[in-house]
This record gives sequence, C-alpha cells and structure tokens, in this order.
Amino acid sequence: MRALIAAFVLGFTMLVAPMALAEDPPSEPGAATSDVPKDAAEERATQFVGVRGPDTESVPGGALLLAAYAIVWVLLFLFLMRIRGLQRHTAEELERLSAEIRASGSR
Amino acid sequence: MSHRRQTGSAAVWSLMLFTTLALFATTLYAIFVVAPVEQRMGIVQKIFYFHVPSAYAMYIGFGASAVGSAGYLLKRDPKWDALGVAGAEVGTLFCLIVLLTGPLWARKAWGVWWTWDPRLTTTLLAGMVFAAYLALRSLGDAGEVEKRFAAGLALFGLVDLPLIHYSVQRWRGVHPTVITGKGGGLESEMYWALGLSFVAFTGLAALLIWARASVERQRDETARLKLELMHR
Repeated sequence: MRALIAAFVLGFTMLVAPMALAEDPPSEPGAATSDVPKDAAEERATQFVGVRGPDTESVPGGALLLAAYAIVWVLLFLFLMRIRGLQRHTAEELERLSAEIRASGSR
Repeated sequence: MSHRRQTGSAAVWSLMLFTTLALFATTLYAIFVVAPVEQRMGIVQKIFYFHVPSAYAMYIGFGASAVGSAGYLLKRDPKWDALGVAGAEVGTLFCLIVLLTGPLWARKAWGVWWTWDPRLTTTLLAGMVFAAYLALRSLGDAGEVEKRFAAGLALFGLVDLPLIHYSVQRWRGVHPTVITGKGGGLESEMYWALGLSFVAFTGLAALLIWARASVERQRDETARLKLELMHR
C-alpha cells in the first residue's frame, strides 16, 4: 500500500511539477500593459526611428562655408607673417655678423 | 652676374605673385558666381573648391620636402635641406587647412565633424609625420644628425601620400570621389571653378616654398658666418 501511495505521489509530482515550473508565454507587445499604469522605467524609449522627409536636422551651411574660407585666409596670412618675421630677423642677424667679421678683419 | 641673377629672380617672383593673385580673384568669381549651388548639400559644398586644391597643394609641399630630403641625404648640400624644410612647412600649412575645412563640410554632409574614414585617417597621419619633422627641426640650430634624421622622416612621410590618394579607391569609406571615381562627376561650371582653383593653389604653393626656402638658405648662411666668427 505504501509503495502504491509513493508511486502515486511520485507520478503526480512528475506530471505537475513541469507544468508548475513552466513560464507564461510572452504576451503581445502592448496587450498586457494597456490596462496597467506605466511607471518611469516602462516609459523609456525602446527603439529609435530615423526621420524621413523634409523634417531633418538643420545645419547652417552658410556659416560653415564662411568659417572654412576664413580659416584658409587667416592661416595663409599668419604663415606669410611668419615668413616675413623670419626674413627680417635673419637679415638683421646677417648684417650684424657681416659687420663683426669686417671689424675683426680690419684689426 | 649675381646681381643680374637676383634681379631676374625678383622679376620672376613678382610675375608669379601677380599671376597668382589674379588667378585667385578669378577663382573666387568662378566659385561664387559661375559655379551653381549643389543640389543636395547646398552652399556648403563650395568648401570643396578650396578644400581639394589645398589637399593638392599639401601633396606639392610634402613632395618637395621629400625631394629636398633625398637630395640632402645624397649630396649634403644645404640648398636641398632648405627645400626640405620649406616643403614640410608649406605642406603642413595646407594639411592643416584640409583638416580644418573638411570637418566643416562633413558636419553638413555627413552629420559629424570627424569620422575615421581611411582618407581622413591617412591625411591626419601625414600631417603628424611632417609635424614631427618640423618639431625636430625647430629644436634650436639643427645639427647634421638632426637634419639627416628629419630627412629620413620626410621620406617616411612620402610613403603615406599614395595611401591618401588611393585610400578612396581601395578601402571602404564615406569620403566622396567625384573627380577620380566612377560617379556622375561635376557640372562643367564646377569643373572650371575647380580647375582654376587648382592652378591658383599650385602657384601659391610654389611661391610659399620659394619664399620659405630662400629664408632657410639665409639662415644657413647666418649659421656659417657664426661658425666663421667663432674660429677667428
């Protein structure tokens, strides 16, 4: 009798336990949450959608163009100033050294 | 003879200067009056007419630096070294222009200031190599070892130039290839504006290299005179 009861309990456990442990199937998106109030976590964005059509981000092309041409002219001007500065400094140095050499030669 | 040569050089210099200035005036007219506004990118596409010739002028500068460096390594003549320094400075100037004007265009065209596209990355690499060259040469009066090491660096930088040019054909990226690619190319007015800009930038690069090299030769002369005074 005990063996019969043990076999019954074991058989029942083996039949019922998998069903009890099984998870619910995933519900359709939006169906389960439609009647439940959302909290902050559930309101986070879950997808990003690209903008189509004319409603795109506006970038000021004119300002970028102006900045690009200004950069070109400013850099060229600075480089020319650098060359001019170097030229002036070197010419002065050459003049000074030449004078020193002439002076040392006449001694 | 030397005086006549100097006068001749000054005349050629003046002629080149006025021709380049006239070309720049014509180029600006062609860019902003003749060439149409691009359909998709709008007015910002006009950066292209200075951006691409600047890249070409960068090639001229870095190429001149490599030629001067090779000449110096072979002959040890200060004239070649002066060409190497002048080319590196002018090339770096135009590389900086390319790397600053490109992002302004990219912001509108691609939506980002910078992306690690093969052409952008290899251009940045070339700029860094020649910036290292200039940093090495700016450490006081460069000795023979510094000059030779810098010359080797310029030759190393030369290897990067074909990589920049062919990167848009060999590797995937976002950089446009309207001139060398198999796309629709440019409209005829756009070609005119770009062509004029190429000629103007070639003249400008040549003038700047010439001016900077002559200053560098004067600096070499100064160093020689200092040495002469020390040995007296």
